[in-house]
Amino acid sequence: MRVPLSWLREYVHVDATTDEIVDALSISTAEIDGVERVGPPGELGLFRVGHVLEAAKHPDADRLQLTSVDVGEDRPYSIVCGAWNFGAGAKVAVALPGATLPNGLVLERRKLRGELSEGMILAEDELDLGTDHTGIIVLDDGLEPGTPLADALPLVDEVLDLDPTGNRPDLFAVYGVAREVAALLGGELQPMPGKDPARDGDEPVGVGIEDPEGCLRFIGRIFRDAELGGSPLWLKARLRHAGVRAISNVVDVTNYVMLALGSPLHAYDLDLLHGGLVARRARKGEKVRTLDGEERTLSPEDLVIADSERPVGLAGIMGGEETEVSETTRNVLLEAANFEPIGILRSSERHALRTEGSNRWEKGVDPYVAGPAATYASQLIVELSGARWTGAEDVQAAMPKPATIRLRPERASGLIGLEVPESEQAAILAPIGFDRLKRGYRVPTWRARDVTREVDLIEEVARFKLPEVPFTLPRREAMFGRLTRSQRLRRLVEDALVGAGYAEAYTPSFVAEGDLRLPEPLSSEAAALRTDLYASLLDPVRRNADAGIEDVALFEVARVYRGVGAALPEEHWHVSGIADGGFAEAKWAVEQIYSALGLDPVYERTNAPFLHPGKSARTAEGWLGELHPALLDGIWGAFELDLDALADSAPEVVAFDPVSPYPEVRQDLAFVVDEEVSAAELLAAIREAAGELLRELEVFDEYRGEQIGEGKRSLAFRLGFGSPEGTLTDEDVAPVRASIVDALAARFDAVLRA
Amino acid sequence: MDPENLEKEALDAAAEAGSLGALSDVRIRFLGRSSALKLALREVRDRETGMKLNAVKETVESVLDAREAELARAELEERLVTERVDVTLPAQLLGPPKLRPRGTLHPSTLVRRDVEDIFLGLGYEIVDGREVETTRYNFDALGFPEWHPARSPRASLFLDDHTVLRTETSPAQIHKMEERRPPIYMVSIGRVYRRDTIDATHFPIFHQFEGLAIDQGITMADLKGTLLYVMRQLYGPERELRFRTHYFPFTEPSMEPDVSCFNCGGAGCPICKHSGWIEMGGSGMVDPYLYEFVGWGPEEYTGFAFGMGIERTAQLRYGITGIRPFWDNDLRFLRQFR
Repeated sequence: MRVPLSWLREYVHVDATTDEIVDALSISTAEIDGVERVGPPGELGLFRVGHVLEAAKHPDADRLQLTSVDVGEDRPYSIVCGAWNFGAGAKVAVALPGATLPNGLVLERRKLRGELSEGMILAEDELDLGTDHTGIIVLDDGLEPGTPLADALPLVDEVLDLDPTGNRPDLFAVYGVAREVAALLGGELQPMPGKDPARDGDEPVGVGIEDPEGCLRFIGRIFRDAELGGSPLWLKARLRHAGVRAISNVVDVTNYVMLALGSPLHAYDLDLLHGGLVARRARKGEKVRTLDGEERTLSPEDLVIADSERPVGLAGIMGGEETEVSETTRNVLLEAANFEPIGILRSSERHALRTEGSNRWEKGVDPYVAGPAATYASQLIVELSGARWTGAEDVQAAMPKPATIRLRPERASGLIGLEVPESEQAAILAPIGFDRLKRGYRVPTWRARDVTREVDLIEEVARFKLPEVPFTLPRREAMFGRLTRSQRLRRLVEDALVGAGYAEAYTPSFVAEGDLRLPEPLSSEAAALRTDLYASLLDPVRRNADAGIEDVALFEVARVYRGVGAALPEEHWHVSGIADGGFAEAKWAVEQIYSALGLDPVYERTNAPFLHPGKSARTAEGWLGELHPALLDGIWGAFELDLDALADSAPEVVAFDPVSPYPEVRQDLAFVVDEEVSAAELLAAIREAAGELLRELEVFDEYRGEQIGEGKRSLAFRLGFGSPEGTLTDEDVAPVRASIVDALAARFDAVLRA
Repeated sequence: MDPENLEKEALDAAAEAGSLGALSDVRIRFLGRSSALKLALREVRDRETGMKLNAVKETVESVLDAREAELARAELEERLVTERVDVTLPAQLLGPPKLRPRGTLHPSTLVRRDVEDIFLGLGYEIVDGREVETTRYNFDALGFPEWHPARSPRASLFLDDHTVLRTETSPAQIHKMEERRPPIYMVSIGRVYRRDTIDATHFPIFHQFEGLAIDQGITMADLKGTLLYVMRQLYGPERELRFRTHYFPFTEPSMEPDVSCFNCGGAGCPICKHSGWIEMGGSGMVDPYLYEFVGWGPEEYTGFAFGMGIERTAQLRYGITGIRPFWDNDLRFLRQFR
C-alpha cells in the first residue's frame, strides 16, 4: 500500500516528522518497505508560476512557440515551447535554468533553432504528476507570476510503502493509516472525508442481492449528465503517487475513494445496462469479457454482478468491458458493495486475476465503510463531472453486529509482562476505535474479523507498548536440556566422518523417481521423496571432481522416506558418503562410524546394481562398496547406513574389562587358506577355539605369492593371551595355540605357515 | 563380390566374436584398408553400386559398434567379478585408505549445533520432528485460516490432500504438547519446504529453528529476554533487540524481533539495509487456540514461540550471499568452514 504523506496528513493533523511517523508505524502497525520522495529532487525555488506575456510561432521552426514569460524576476524570460494549448495571458508552470526535473534532467540556458530558451514550460509528465504530454499545464488564472510552483501544485511528496499483514484490511486505506498515526503520535484524526451532494431526482436503481453469503451489501447510485474527461491534477498526482493509473474523472474517483477509505467501487455506463444489477453466482457456461480484454468462462462458484441479461463483471475483481465507463458515457451507475473474502480469493485464484479490488476484498473489507465510500464518491463525481445525482439504493443482507469483548486489565499486564494501568489500556484502545462500554470494549467494524477474543484486545494494547516491555527470563521449576540419544549419536557420526576427511554436504530431499510422488512436482528432477542419500551425492561428487578438486570426499546426514501404506511415510535418519579411492575408503569410513558408536559389525558380501560386484558388502545397518564404474567415472568408495538402526544397535553403556596387572603373551600366527575363506570366518573360528584366555585378536597382514600357490593367500593374525590369575607362560598358551591350529585346519584346510 | 553376401558374412562374424580382441580382427577383416569392401569401394565407378556398398559399410559399422559395446560391458562385468576383495578385512589391509586432511561440517550444521548448545544451556530440549506431516498438524492445529496462502499447492508441497511437507517446524510443537503437559521448553530444528522457484535467494528447502516455552506465568517480557540472550550468543554481547508488531496464525500477540546490526552497530550499512536493524524471523505469545486444540484450558498456561532460519543465521554470521552456496556442495566453499 503506497501512502502519499500529503494525503495522510490531510486526514491526521500531527506535528511528527516523516521519520517519526515511519518509526512509529513500523513498530506498532505494519512493516514499511521504504519511503520514496517523488517530484523534483533538487532546489524547488527554480519552479515558478509563470505568466505568458507574449507567444508566437518560432521564426525558424513550425512546431515551436517562442514565448516571453514573467516568472517574477525583473525581466521577462524567453522560453521556447513545443506545446500549443496556450497563448499569451496563460498562467503556466515554469522550470528555470538550473532546475532538476524528476527524471534527473538539469535544465540549461540554451539556443533552440537560433532562439534563446531560458527554462521550460512544463507538462504534467515532466513533473511526474501524470502521463499526459499532449499539452502543458495551464494553471489557475488567479495565481501571481513568480509564486513558488509548490504552492500551486503537489510538486513534491513522500510516499510510504506500507506492507500490512493479512489481518489488517483497514490499513489498505489512507484513512486507516491516518487513524493509526493519530493514535500513535497523538495527532488529531479528521472526520472521514465525503458529504453527500444535493439529490436531483429519485429514480429507481434496481440493485439486488441474490447471494447474501457472497454479497453483504449493495449500494447503487445513479448519476446523469456526467461530463467525462480528465481528472484535475491534484487527483491525478495522488493516484500516480499511490501507484494507480489515471483514466477518466469518474473512474479515477472510484479508485481514489478506494485508496482513501479502503472499500473498492465500480462505475458502469448506465445506458449500456439492461435493467438493474444483481449480485449472484454465475450460471454454468456464462461468460464475461473483463476490462483487461480477456473473455472469462465463469463457474457457478464465481460471484458476478449481472444485469437482467448477462454478467457485467466478476464481482469485486474486475468489471466487464461491455459496460465500462468511456469517453461517450453520460449516465453512470456507481456500485459500492461488500463482498465476502474467501469467495473473492478463490475466484481470483481460479482466474489468475489479482487487482487492487480483489486484494482488498480477499482480506475482508468492513461492510459499514461502503456507505461513506458511496458518499465520498458521489460528492467527487458531482464536483468533477458536473453530473446530477438522481437515484440511490442501499440493499443489505445480514450486516454483522459489532462485538463487545471483555478485557481484564490484569490479564493484559500479566501476558505482556509489563504493568499497564487500566486507564492507560483504555486510552490506547479508544483512538483506534475500541469504545469502552460497561461490559467491555466494542470492536470497531473495521477490525471485526481480526479482534474476536480477549487475547486479540491484549495484542492491541501490547503493540503500543512494545519498546517498553522489559527483558526477563522465565522463572523455571524444571529443566530438560539434553540432546536425545539419537541426536548425540548423529553428532558422533558427523564428527567421525569429519575426522576421516569428509566434508558435509546438504542435498535436496527430492529425486526424479520414487513411490512417494509429488502430484505437482517441483521439476522432473524433483518429483518424489528419496529413499536413500547416496544417489543425491553423485552429482555434487561429479561436479567437484570435474572442477579438478582432489581427494573429493562428501557425506550427508539426512532423512529418507519410505511409504509403508500408513497415512504418513516412515522417516529414517541415514548417513551416506562417497570418497575417491575405492573399497578401502568406504570400509575405513564405515569402520570409523561403527567404532565411534562402540559397535563391531559383521560384514557380508553383497550385490547391488550400483556397486562393484566384487567389492561390496553389507552390515546389519546398511551397505558399503566401490561404486559401479558405469555410475561415476573413476574409482569411488561409497556407503550408506541407517542411523536409527545404528542407534538401536549401539550399546547405551560402555562395558569394559578391568585391566589385568599381568602382562599379555603375544603370538603371531599366519595361515594359508583358499581365497574364498574370509578373514571374518577365520577370526570367528580362532575366537571360538581360543577360549577365555584370548584377550586380543586382529588380522594384520595379507599375502599372496608363488610360495603360497594359486588361489590361496596367507592371513597373519596377532593374538594376545592373558589371565586375571597370573602371568601366562608360553607353555600355558601352547595348548590353546594347538587347538586354534587344529580347528582352522579342520574347518578351512588352513595350513599354519612356519 | 556380392555385397549382400558380404554383409551377412560380416554380421555372422561379429555375432561369433566372443571377445573384444576377436571383434577387432573381424573389424579389420571386413572394414580394414585391404578388406574386400574397401577395395570394392575404391574401384566403384557407378552411383548405384557405390550407394549399395556404402549402405553395407554403414550397416556393418553400426553392428560392429553395438557388438563392441556389448562385449565391453560383458568384459567389464567379468573383470569386476574377478576383482574380488575380502570385504571382511580391515580397511588398513585393503588399501590402506588415504590419509586425508580433516574434513568439515556444513555451515548450516555449525549454526545448528550452536543454536542447539545455546538452548541446551537454557534448559530446552531439542526436537527433530517429522518432515512429512498431516495438514491437521501443519495447518489446522496451528490456526491457519482457510484463506491462508500457505494452504495452497502453489505455496506448499503436498503429497495428497491431507499430507504436506511441513512448511515450518511448528507441528513438532503440537506433537510435544499432545505428548505431555507443561512445563515445555523446546526447540524444533530441521528441514522445511515451500514451493519456491530456485534462484539466487530461494530454494524449496530451508532449515528453521523454532522455540516454544509453555509454563505458568510466561510473558512477552520473557520472550524478549530469551531472544536477547540468544541473539547476543549468536551475534555478540553488544546486540540490542526490538520488537515490531506482526501477524502469525499461531501466536497472539505476534511480533517480529529485530537485532541491532552487528556490522555497523546501528549506524546503517548494506547488511541492515541502512536501518540499523536486522530482521530475524517471527515470534509471539502462543495463541490460546493451540491449548484448546490439545485439550487444555485456554488459561491454564501461557507461552511464547519464535522461529528463525538456519541459513539466514549462517548468512549473517559468515557473510554468505544468497542461498546457492548452501546447496552447491562445492568443496572450495565447504572446506573453509573449519
